[in-house]
Amino acid sequence: MIFMFQSLAAMEKYSMNKSRVARYARLAAPLWAAAVLCGAQTSNASAEDVIRFGAPLPITGPLAPEAIKQQQGYDLWAEEANKAGGISVGGKKYKVEIVYADYQSNTPRAVQATEQMISQDNVNFMFGAFGSGAAKAASTVSEKYKVPTLAATASSVQVYDQGYKYLFGTFTPNDTLTTPLTQIIKAKVPEVKKVAILARNDLFPLAIAQEMEKSAKANGFDLVYFEKYAIGTLDHSATLSQIKSLAPQWIFVTGYINDLLLIRKQMVDQEMKAPIVTMIAGPAYQEFIESGGKTAENITSASWWHPAERYEGKDIFGSTENFVKLFKAKYKSEPDYGQASAALCGALFQMAIEKAGSLDRDKVRDELAKLDVVTFFGPVRFGANGQINSLDPPVFQIQGAKPVVLFPEAIKQGDLKVGVN
Amino acid sequence: MHAAQILVNAVVLGCLYACIAIGFSLVWGVLNVINLIHGSFIVLGAYLAFGLYNALHISPWYSIAVAAPLFFVLGYLLQRLLLNRVITAPVLVTLTMTFGLDLILNNAMIYFFKADYRKLTLTPSLGSVSIFDVVVPVDRLIATVSALALTGLLYLLLRRSRVGRAIVAVRLDRDAAVLMGVDVKSIYAIAFGLGAALAGCAGVLMALIFPISPLTSSGYLGKAFVVCVLGGLGSVSGALAGGLLLALVEGIGSTFFGPAHATTLSFILLIVFLILRPQGLLGRKGFE
Repeated sequence: MIFMFQSLAAMEKYSMNKSRVARYARLAAPLWAAAVLCGAQTSNASAEDVIRFGAPLPITGPLAPEAIKQQQGYDLWAEEANKAGGISVGGKKYKVEIVYADYQSNTPRAVQATEQMISQDNVNFMFGAFGSGAAKAASTVSEKYKVPTLAATASSVQVYDQGYKYLFGTFTPNDTLTTPLTQIIKAKVPEVKKVAILARNDLFPLAIAQEMEKSAKANGFDLVYFEKYAIGTLDHSATLSQIKSLAPQWIFVTGYINDLLLIRKQMVDQEMKAPIVTMIAGPAYQEFIESGGKTAENITSASWWHPAERYEGKDIFGSTENFVKLFKAKYKSEPDYGQASAALCGALFQMAIEKAGSLDRDKVRDELAKLDVVTFFGPVRFGANGQINSLDPPVFQIQGAKPVVLFPEAIKQGDLKVGVN
Repeated sequence: MHAAQILVNAVVLGCLYACIAIGFSLVWGVLNVINLIHGSFIVLGAYLAFGLYNALHISPWYSIAVAAPLFFVLGYLLQRLLLNRVITAPVLVTLTMTFGLDLILNNAMIYFFKADYRKLTLTPSLGSVSIFDVVVPVDRLIATVSALALTGLLYLLLRRSRVGRAIVAVRLDRDAAVLMGVDVKSIYAIAFGLGAALAGCAGVLMALIFPISPLTSSGYLGKAFVVCVLGGLGSVSGALAGGLLLALVEGIGSTFFGPAHATTLSFILLIVFLILRPQGLLGRKGFE
């Protein structure tokens, strides 16, 4: 609505002040020409020894917190790569430059931004837009121009089943998050039978909830409630009262951090208790634990990566420990899966380019498809559709204000605790 | 019992909605300005409460006393220095002005506070009270009572004080008020200041209940808008009636049709009101 008013106002003003517009245009023309000349000069100078990576991100708007995370990951990688002299291509070192564009949490603009980066900003390679929805939409453009694209935060299979050759993603399919969790709970807490699912009506949160529905049914749970809530819902009290009246033993909620903080607060307000409460995707973030305080205790969740993992990798970061150390030194906070996945995408590009020994997009694409390597993020190998298929995403629980890994066995830090009050 | 719980939830939420909307309604009713900065004022109030509690351990109950004068001055100055210059222009101009101011304030908040979601968590937490299985969280209860108190205070101010009568007079007939010797520009600034103060206080109360982030401002603004249309513009009791109606419809809609349709239902209600009763539940026809 606001934008409608805005454009109306602009139109009104435009028609009133046509002559003024013309005057501005006359004034602006030489400035514009100068800017273009300067731009052309710098891009000529830098095209020789710089590799440009395009990163369209929702830097403003409701998804801004997520964009900041991805940006931190890319920046950390670029800094590390440049500290080491850059990416070596056939014996010559190239500096890394990341070109950001803000698509204002608006998916159509993500598509435009991708088009602009490839056709006007002359980027060599692309990072995908945030989340499954925007990454899928923007991938049509990078596929058209045959630009290898690494999507750091797209997990839904629908992104990868388009038969695209140039799109790769570092998140495993959604069911890899829900299945291990369901099996752990079935084995450890057999008295849990009734499950209630509440999902944010949005591509990824809803897809996760649907996977949960499938895996709950497959494992013999009794699904007593499955509803969606609208994006931007301010109050969940009526919904939660209804769930409470059904007395489920396992409450499974999906959404982003603001939704989950609000729902958790309202659950406490309504004195809702359950043996198991799972929330995806907020609890992986440090802000959730800090903001949730005591109410975050014993909440289970799953994510694609966890700082407690211990992989010895062949990428620029070397090991999970080293990555965490570098991240903490730069940003004074613990990294989560979003930041790690973004940094991983940079590191993977670096490996593929160095192996290809060329900036040729097709050669780099082939090297990405062939990758079979252990990184700080875990083993990386892409399936035929471009989505990673080599990872076991960790299941974890907030215990003593810290996320404790319950699965996979190799990095397990503790056992499941029952009871969320 | 479930029905009673839904009803109680709706009443409490309705009062919160009224609290969000009342300042917006006052400004729209008196100044004929659709104040798009209202949502950002609420968020700024929430940050004030968050900052005072975490840095100086000042309880949000006292923060209201800080927020009210601070926001009044902010609103007063904004109206005096900026909005009064365009107040006689068509409504689209003032709308664009507040839209621009909102962009500035909202982005400034993103810049200074970041877009992270924060939560004001009281220690020890206030808990909930339950009567016959109907649970009401104490913080919401206090916010409800405070919302009612603020609404009552505004009502008294408009009815009993000289300034309040002048505000109502300007709202009824600007030209007649000028002829009676009312300094309209100053009344405008006072009304806008009051609106801002109410938004700031609402923000302090909302900080206890909702996560805090600059990104939530449009949510508050949207609710305020709907409540005003339902209840009637510029009327104190109208905001309360609109808030209660909206919360009730959302609660019932969410229970019977699923939470995804609660918003749809509330907007259908909005359209029905716009067609059949554009003056709102308690608004009077002919007032702008």
